[in-house]
Amino acid sequence: MTSSLDRARELLREFPVVDGHNDLPWALREQVRYDLGSRDIAADQSAHLHTDIPRLRAGGVGAQFWSVYVRADLPDAVPSTLEQIDCVRQLLARHPQELAPALTAADMEAARAQGRIASLMGAEGGHSIANSLGTLRGLYDLGVRYLTLTHNYNVAWADSATDEPGVGGLSAFGREVVREMNRLGMLVDLSHVAATTMRDALDATSAPVIFSHSSARAVCDHPRNIPDDVLERLPANGGVAMVTFVPKFVLQAAVDWTAAADENMRARGFHHLDTTAEGMRVHRAFEETHPRPVATVSTVADHLDHMREAAGVDHIGIGGDYDGTAFTPDGLNDVSGYPNLIAELLDRGWSKPDLAKLTWQNAVRVLSAAEDVARDLQSKRSPSNATLESLDSPDA
Amino acid sequence: MADLQDDLHTAAEIGRADVPYPEEAVLVEPATFAPVSDPDADPLTRAHAVLAAHPVADGYNGLPQTLRRLSWCDLALGESAVETDVPRLRAGKVGAMFWSLHLPDGLAPDRAVAATLDHLDLAKTVVAAHGEGLYPARTAGEVADARNRGRVAVLFGPAGAAALGDSLGVLRSLYTLGLRVLTLTGVSWAGPAGLTRFGEETVREMNRLGMIADLSYASEPTIRRVLTLSKAPVLFSRSASRELRPHPANLPDDLLGDMARTRSLCMVPLAAEQSGPTVRDVADQLDHIRGVAGPECVGLSGTYDTGGACTQELADPSCYPRLIAELLRRGWEESDVALLTWGNVQRVLRGAAFAAHAVQQRRAPSTATVGELDR
Repeated sequence: MTSSLDRARELLREFPVVDGHNDLPWALREQVRYDLGSRDIAADQSAHLHTDIPRLRAGGVGAQFWSVYVRADLPDAVPSTLEQIDCVRQLLARHPQELAPALTAADMEAARAQGRIASLMGAEGGHSIANSLGTLRGLYDLGVRYLTLTHNYNVAWADSATDEPGVGGLSAFGREVVREMNRLGMLVDLSHVAATTMRDALDATSAPVIFSHSSARAVCDHPRNIPDDVLERLPANGGVAMVTFVPKFVLQAAVDWTAAADENMRARGFHHLDTTAEGMRVHRAFEETHPRPVATVSTVADHLDHMREAAGVDHIGIGGDYDGTAFTPDGLNDVSGYPNLIAELLDRGWSKPDLAKLTWQNAVRVLSAAEDVARDLQSKRSPSNATLESLDSPDA
Repeated sequence: MADLQDDLHTAAEIGRADVPYPEEAVLVEPATFAPVSDPDADPLTRAHAVLAAHPVADGYNGLPQTLRRLSWCDLALGESAVETDVPRLRAGKVGAMFWSLHLPDGLAPDRAVAATLDHLDLAKTVVAAHGEGLYPARTAGEVADARNRGRVAVLFGPAGAAALGDSLGVLRSLYTLGLRVLTLTGVSWAGPAGLTRFGEETVREMNRLGMIADLSYASEPTIRRVLTLSKAPVLFSRSASRELRPHPANLPDDLLGDMARTRSLCMVPLAAEQSGPTVRDVADQLDHIRGVAGPECVGLSGTYDTGGACTQELADPSCYPRLIAELLRRGWEESDVALLTWGNVQRVLRGAAFAAHAVQQRRAPSTATVGELDR
């Protein structure tokens, strides 16, 4: 009798994981300012990173959307995004045997056939296009295949899940951004956005959307997760919600603990994200008296059980957010952990065809469908030259 | 196929990969040359014949900036709001042109990268919308390809150095997007005092990529340093002779001589302010620079749609045959005209690509930052 884990590994050999979100480029930027030689991902980097090639292999990863995230609170989002894209291109150039540049669903399938890890790019936040459709097209030309409409803060044309309501979802220009992304074949990513934005985007889009790294709000009530009414719209839209592992989004006890820890920081006069020595001391003191709750593989599987129920097995996927989060669940500690999740789902009675959809087929289908929509729209529409001012100013 | 063979003639250049850089490898012998015009015909007829075989590669066109102000344009059938359109390019026998992505003055520096992306996007959109007449090109091979398809090749650049946002990662991304020429002015690392250490590193990285340096309007210390440092020939996208006409972007004879020693290219603008008000003035400039720097180091730069006053009788790109007729009248050999209009630009494009191949063998992408090197 082979173990679930063995069966999971075997399944992943045929249908590897497409992961929707990995922040390795940001980690390389912050840790070593893109000195890729000092964080050689061909070798074990577990002392510094969640991600390296040996562990991607062990984890059964067959395609990765590398996030080209940059901070939204600095003025240089566009140049920084270009630097992040350059970082991914350099990684691809350094590891051609392992990482296959991928721009299309066909490229993803080709990489799977060759046994390489298809490498795609996603930009995390509308701030990366500086309110410009020309810049959006520039990112597409550079290989970016999804744009998360916001990060943690609103942009002028879309509301974030973790900010105060601004335009109340998508503005007119926001809807035009979605239309232009449809025309290009760039996936609309609704992780990080407010539920109002999710609904507006689903109304505006003519292509399937993705949630590159979001879980279910019904299982854990956090604004970063997806409400059921939105999950239930995915079958009609064709999109895919890629479950994330971030403990403070998926485990209610961790949500509550994080809120209390943040409150503790603020009560002592610190910003809740303060990482100075003094700030960390206050934080560690809190952690000693209030042990941090630990999420597990089972926590994530609970989300997937619910998401399969609410959205259907054709509309779920995986987006770990590795190297973009300080903590990870037990058993999903780094990118080598995906087989544990698949084993857990096998134990819960998920069928092999369902798991193949979860890991590989759904995400590839969505990109392919977006390409079809783009081909159709390009025969009907020219590039949009709308501007934020022309669509969103009060007298527009 | 003659065109294609002309363009591929420099196989000798490729064959010299083992020769140390920079001097020898970029020194390319001119192609052997067969005249195409009837020496007894009148100069304008001869000019048309020569240009049919050796069209103009125009070093600087301001169309992207001009089109930004227009809500609509039709370059295919003729557009009266601008100086450059497909019918006039065809009438003037223009085979390739560089589209400037220089930004308007006074733009906030932290907007420059995004504004350049917008500019590049507009330029690509316009080229794509006029696929019958225009063809986007990134290499000498693609320029030749455009010609074989009967299209005018459009190369993107020069952009101003501010477009990099002081980042070599941005430089590489802009190269990936198709930018091929960068003007080394207007930034802290290429100013009146010349190149800083980061400026030098930028030139090395440009060489590694195959991004061509443009030194028109650059400071003299910058020009001298780049000419010494660069492994590939550079461009002066719009510079004439200061000997004949004082202008900050025009070059004194000693700099023209230094430029010639690197087989770089001085592209003479058809702008009244820089070259003079008449066709004869422009021809005088070309005569002078050919004399000082040699026929391999002089080219043409229409500077159309840049807002400046054109030379009389050369009001738009359809007028190139008049200028070439004047040169033939003055006794220019066809072979020199062919280098002036087409061959030299092809050589510089190939030189940049060839140098890049060589440099990539021994240099990894640079991670240097301006903060690290200049502070």
